[in-house]
Amino acid sequence: MDKQERAIESAELSIWFFCGILMLAYGVVLVITGITELHHPPANEILLPWLQHLHPTLGWGIVLTVFGGFYSIRFRPGRP
Amino acid sequence: MQDFAALLMLNRQLTKLAPVDIVILVLYFALVVFIGFYAKGKANTSEDFFLAGREMTAWIAGLSFVSANLGSLELMGWAGAAYQYGILAAHWYWIGAIPAMLFLGIVMMPFYYISKTHSVPGYLQLRFGEGARAVSAVSFAVMTILMSGVNMYAMALVMKTVLGWNISFSIWIGAATVALYVMLGGLRSAIINEVLQFVLIWAGAAMIPILGLIEAGGWTKLKAQIALNVGTTDYGHMWSTLGSFKDNPMGVHWTGIVFGLGFVISFGYWTTDFLVVQRVLSANNLRAAKMAPVIGAAFKMAVPFIVIVPGLLALAVLKNPDGTMMHLVPESVAAATGQHSFNEVLPLMLIRYCGPGLLGLGITALVAGFMSGMAGNVSAFSTVWTYDLYGAFLNKKASDRHYVAMGRWSTVIGMLVSIGTAYLVMNAASIMDYVQALFSFFIAPLFGTVILGMLWKRATHWGGFLGLLSGTIASVGMFIWVQTDSTALRYIAMSPNAKPMAENLYRALWSWIICVVVTAVVSLVTKPVPTEQLSGLVYGVTPIPHDGSKTIFEKPIFWAIVVIVVFFVLNLIFW
Repeated sequence: MDKQERAIESAELSIWFFCGILMLAYGVVLVITGITELHHPPANEILLPWLQHLHPTLGWGIVLTVFGGFYSIRFRPGRP
Repeated sequence: MQDFAALLMLNRQLTKLAPVDIVILVLYFALVVFIGFYAKGKANTSEDFFLAGREMTAWIAGLSFVSANLGSLELMGWAGAAYQYGILAAHWYWIGAIPAMLFLGIVMMPFYYISKTHSVPGYLQLRFGEGARAVSAVSFAVMTILMSGVNMYAMALVMKTVLGWNISFSIWIGAATVALYVMLGGLRSAIINEVLQFVLIWAGAAMIPILGLIEAGGWTKLKAQIALNVGTTDYGHMWSTLGSFKDNPMGVHWTGIVFGLGFVISFGYWTTDFLVVQRVLSANNLRAAKMAPVIGAAFKMAVPFIVIVPGLLALAVLKNPDGTMMHLVPESVAAATGQHSFNEVLPLMLIRYCGPGLLGLGITALVAGFMSGMAGNVSAFSTVWTYDLYGAFLNKKASDRHYVAMGRWSTVIGMLVSIGTAYLVMNAASIMDYVQALFSFFIAPLFGTVILGMLWKRATHWGGFLGLLSGTIASVGMFIWVQTDSTALRYIAMSPNAKPMAENLYRALWSWIICVVVTAVVSLVTKPVPTEQLSGLVYGVTPIPHDGSKTIFEKPIFWAIVVIVVFFVLNLIFW
């Protein structure tokens, strides 16, 4: 990304900020859901017992939180 | 392309959403509406409204370019095709897209960009005159509005069958949301949402292949299991079974895949369909305009991971509650027996691996895909209507402000017509197959006209117009011939073993050849266009400005070579 592009992006809310904030919100929701599911696994995980040990909701929630958090901060409004 | 009517005849409610899933869906709608109001403040001139101010970076234009084609109908349809035909379905993502996208970026984009045209029909007007523009603009406007309606109905029906939602509720909520954000923010709003949708689709669908490959024990074990379940190894090969029509599940020959799909259909769609080209025209400079399709191609190559792999996984691991293998069937059989159909494979795999939360994310990704499909069609319709029909033939001298207002009104009216189409389709589902066929009538000959116009300075106005017309009529003629006499397929595909999938490929090829031959012959017997009128429009008489790249890593051609090498390697791996 060159200087001119950076200037355009920082002068307004960046598209990447929108992506970041949505993924961050989803990540947080999934992490909370994943934690509550640790002791009460959902029906599909009971049907497929090997899924329970992977904790997909919690794991994917953490991935989205990190991804969304990085983009939200990196492309936050008014950054230098 | 997939059979739309069959795709949408899913016939029972598959699951229901938990409160956390509703939260995820509501968050998406809230952000989309906010983006519409945010983008409104930046859509004051026609350049802002119709081309997003031509200030998008290569990454944004590139992701929007590939996302405009990544609708939910495509995702669900091709996942079903992968179950039905195996990895052959990946041809529609690789040879059916990558070479054409790179060609658009490296060869054609400079002409679209430096001619400063607002649309593909606009380029045709500059190169071939008003006749070619009118044919192209009218057909495109009608098709986009019909496609928008098809997407709308598709979303409503999928929501009804997967979640049990009321059809009218889904149609009006989806249409109102899309109309609001496109009317307010124009193309900028549509592009922001497309990039968002691209990220969402990966976030919502990636867990299926990841967890599926864990369950299957990796790619090699997956292929072995499929071979065991279906009794042949054909489902795991992309090229080695294409030597004869009867050796592969799809009933096609490599000539149809390479020339029909890889050349004519793919180049026609990716280089002349204004819905996708409009995204690249929003780039902020020539280098970004050339890089955008290259970036789009790189991401396009990865899409089979979330579309084709789930279809293949279903062949290996999808089981009934009693532990026996689940066999998906064609839609007509499913309706009679109550089994699940091919087209339900993606929702079935989503439900298999995703509990509350992840399920909501997957469903939101599907909704985003449908809405993005509607928005893409409506924003492209609004541009072509305002510039190439209203501004060209009805009101040539209005102010810029007037055209922006017309863009907003045409968005709303276009959406209302789409709603009408959606209800029409509800009463006659087969209309959707004809809409899809109509699209294919225009794309192949249009590519012949545009490519000759760009690369051959001897092509004349009459040559372009009559070539486009004859190619289109030939395509319609072949379609009607096969519809009324199914044995005609053996002549069009040149083999008695050809199956319906081959018809599209060879019909496109013939109509393109007819268009090119007629254009060439008519051009050679009509008066040439003076060279000075062709500057900026045709290769050989146009000085191409330097795109501003300084190092090798800034050069679009370098990255295009990287992408094409990866493309060849992937095809060899899955040979």
